[in-house]
Amino acid sequence: MSGAVDQSTSGGGRLMRALALACLAVFILVPLVQTVMLSFMNTIPRDGLEEGRFSLINYLNIFCSEALRSSILNSILYVIMNVGLTLLAALPAAYAFSRFRFVGDRHIFFLLLAFRITPPVVLSLPVFILFAKFNLINSPVGIAIVHCLFNIPIAIWILESFISAVPRELDETAFLDGYSVPRFFLKLLVPAIAPGIGVAAFFCFVFSWVEVVFARILTVTAGKPITMAINGLFGFQTDIGLVMAMTVFSLVPGLVMIYFVRNHLAKGFVIRV
Amino acid sequence: MKPEDNRAWLFLVPALAILAFAGVVPLVAVFNYSFFDIFTLDSAFWIGGDWYQQIVGSQRFYASLGRSLLFSFIVLSVQMPLGIGIALLLRRTGRASIVFLMLLAVPLVVPWNMIPTMWLSLIDPESGLVGRALVWMGLDFDYKFNAVHTWIVLVAMDSWHWTGLVAVLAYAGLSGIPSAYYRAAAIDGASRYQVFRYIELPKIADVMFMALLLRFMDSFMIYIEAFRINAGGPNNATTFLSLDLGEAINGFSYGSAAAHSVVYFLMVLTIAWTFRTAMLRRQEGLTEVPA
Repeated sequence: MSGAVDQSTSGGGRLMRALALACLAVFILVPLVQTVMLSFMNTIPRDGLEEGRFSLINYLNIFCSEALRSSILNSILYVIMNVGLTLLAALPAAYAFSRFRFVGDRHIFFLLLAFRITPPVVLSLPVFILFAKFNLINSPVGIAIVHCLFNIPIAIWILESFISAVPRELDETAFLDGYSVPRFFLKLLVPAIAPGIGVAAFFCFVFSWVEVVFARILTVTAGKPITMAINGLFGFQTDIGLVMAMTVFSLVPGLVMIYFVRNHLAKGFVIRV
Repeated sequence: MKPEDNRAWLFLVPALAILAFAGVVPLVAVFNYSFFDIFTLDSAFWIGGDWYQQIVGSQRFYASLGRSLLFSFIVLSVQMPLGIGIALLLRRTGRASIVFLMLLAVPLVVPWNMIPTMWLSLIDPESGLVGRALVWMGLDFDYKFNAVHTWIVLVAMDSWHWTGLVAVLAYAGLSGIPSAYYRAAAIDGASRYQVFRYIELPKIADVMFMALLLRFMDSFMIYIEAFRINAGGPNNATTFLSLDLGEAINGFSYGSAAAHSVVYFLMVLTIAWTFRTAMLRRQEGLTEVPA
């Protein structure tokens, strides 16, 4: 599917394109370069270490701090739970949207759309009160559940377009062969749309990992994720180097995921109402 | 055509159960709170529509609404063309396009509360790369007290954060165009503009519609990024709708916060409904024309 026929193969056109891409790369990279630079720099006065000097002290400090280490674990824990929960709920729903018409399908689509675009700050207060009643405060489970609000719609959207690319004959022969619905999902459908599940997992991961409004309101005294642990570092004298080192750390899982889904990143956003 | 089967609802049960618990129940609660004056949750007084009257009658609300709309408008008019442009560029880049797609996705995985910190260090006049460059060029850049400069930082930061998503979605739409279309266009002697207008744009319209909706809503309700850069200042020049709401919540004025939330949710519903209707109409229009 190598698509576009190149119309301007002249040297000038090529140069312009290269230049534009270079500008794009610089624009994206400069803030990241700044962050990495600061993370390797001593940014507050310390004995025997000049300010502004190259140093690994920030990274060492992360490992010395119990709060920071456990925050990394908390983040990973709630994100894994969220992605698992989202995929389990979204896969059958996406299948239904892809294969059937049913009473109210368009209304459900509207509902999903509305929940995806509802800003967390609008729901943060009642979510806190509700989740407190169910003992879901200070626990990764609470964050994992509430993040489903915006992730389930996204996952359904992505999975539906991947499922629709699978010919209907797969379902029909499977059910003729006596597959049960769960077995069909596990044995045939999931392997057939494996890249789609990867892409959906990637976007769920992204939106859950970076979210801060729900994550803040649901972790009052414990269970704080990376984002909130970083918030806690700001104070009278903020060690910006440590903040940046934590930020670099918080990027690592995302970068790994980007690498794994790189070939499928731009597939699977076809929309059907 | 898809078969009609209402048993499909069974497949939706898990998703709807989670959405009902985490979304519908809180919405009903917030609707309820909005009619009360709440000191603590145990002592709430019914005050009817007073909060709503206060919101609808306040200058501040309309000013914030105006600023939010303006911000969304600027952000969309920067990011949508830029994203589509990048995608078109990448379609002609060959294998290296994968590298750029990965690069475009990187800002998406940065935690939202860290993005303002990154940008503030970037424009710091003493240690920031861009800040020092501005000083070197002799530009007096003051994002703290100059409203225009605060806006520039916010738009640049938001575009850094989100243009990649628009580009990835546009690229996805473009990938679906068979190369035969391009060859046919070349034979017909179509200009570059005609190729874009009559081949590429219709193909990416649906997915761009979705990108527009996502970007519109997320920028319309921008919260943490805007708050961290200048806390709504200078002189409320960057006080957006969600910052008003955040203030009400942080001030423990729950009833008023709830009324704000309901008003914002109604806006969300209106916007989602408009988009849905427009999308349905577009698709009906497409099916009427014989292919």
